[in-house]
Amino acid sequence: MISTVGIDPARLDMYNLSAAMGPKWAEICTEFTERIRKLGPSPIWLALHRQSGLRRGEEK
Amino acid sequence: MIVGKQKPFEEIWDMIKNFKKVLVFGCNTCVAICHAGGGKEAEILASMLRMKAYQEGVEMEVKHVAIERHCEPEFFEPVMDYVRASDLVLSLACGVGVNFLSERIGNIPVYPGVNTEFYGAVPKAGIFTELCGGCGNCILHLTGGICPVVRCAKSLMNGPCGGTNNGKCEISQDVDCAWFLILERMKKLGTLENLSDIKPPRDWSTGLYGGPRRIVLEHIAESGEQEERKEP
Repeated sequence: MISTVGIDPARLDMYNLSAAMGPKWAEICTEFTERIRKLGPSPIWLALHRQSGLRRGEEK
Repeated sequence: MIVGKQKPFEEIWDMIKNFKKVLVFGCNTCVAICHAGGGKEAEILASMLRMKAYQEGVEMEVKHVAIERHCEPEFFEPVMDYVRASDLVLSLACGVGVNFLSERIGNIPVYPGVNTEFYGAVPKAGIFTELCGGCGNCILHLTGGICPVVRCAKSLMNGPCGGTNNGKCEISQDVDCAWFLILERMKKLGTLENLSDIKPPRDWSTGLYGGPRRIVLEHIAESGEQEERKEP
């Protein structure tokens, strides 16, 4: 569905974890963060920053 | 229930892209059951439209709301101020809801986000099948409870055509021949002989071919008017 609006489905994932699985959660977060870093900024981020004239890393 | 299917996203975007304040308006009855236009779908579609608007550089505010039914006026009342704050309502109700809201909303356009398909049932989660055509002249007592008006591709009234093929219809191997089903069912019910009775030609004017239909239950409509008169 998200590919319909130009978002790579690799940017979305779903995990099922219990509250007792902290280490696994941390592992998933690390892996997922790495994956998103490799994919780079999302088209939404780029569009919003293009409109506001900001570059990556800059805040309003 | 009424079964609908959400329109393709690009078609929806083309319809709404020139409006500034769009409300995606869901209906939590039939179209929610078929995952086309309930509150959940309204929220998802609103989010997708916002993402699209960002990427297209279109300035657009997209909100969403849903009510239980779009076919009775009292359900609209709590949200009408919110609805009227939009430039456009993208209704995810069936066509009944789009018509009904259009008559009540004033000068705000109401566009359909759903294609209303048919009256159907849910034999299995995610599968919806057409079982009634709303023809206004039910003959299911004569056909073993299986409707030839809507389940036969030709709406034949007198048995199967030459296109019946091992219980399937000539239009598709995925479609059962309604008259095959009728005959098998009536055999089981022991009523097959009833099909030999000569029937007069069917009156089709009770269906879509006789103009818009209206039913008035006078005893209820009259008491409703009295209640309205009592209100200050």
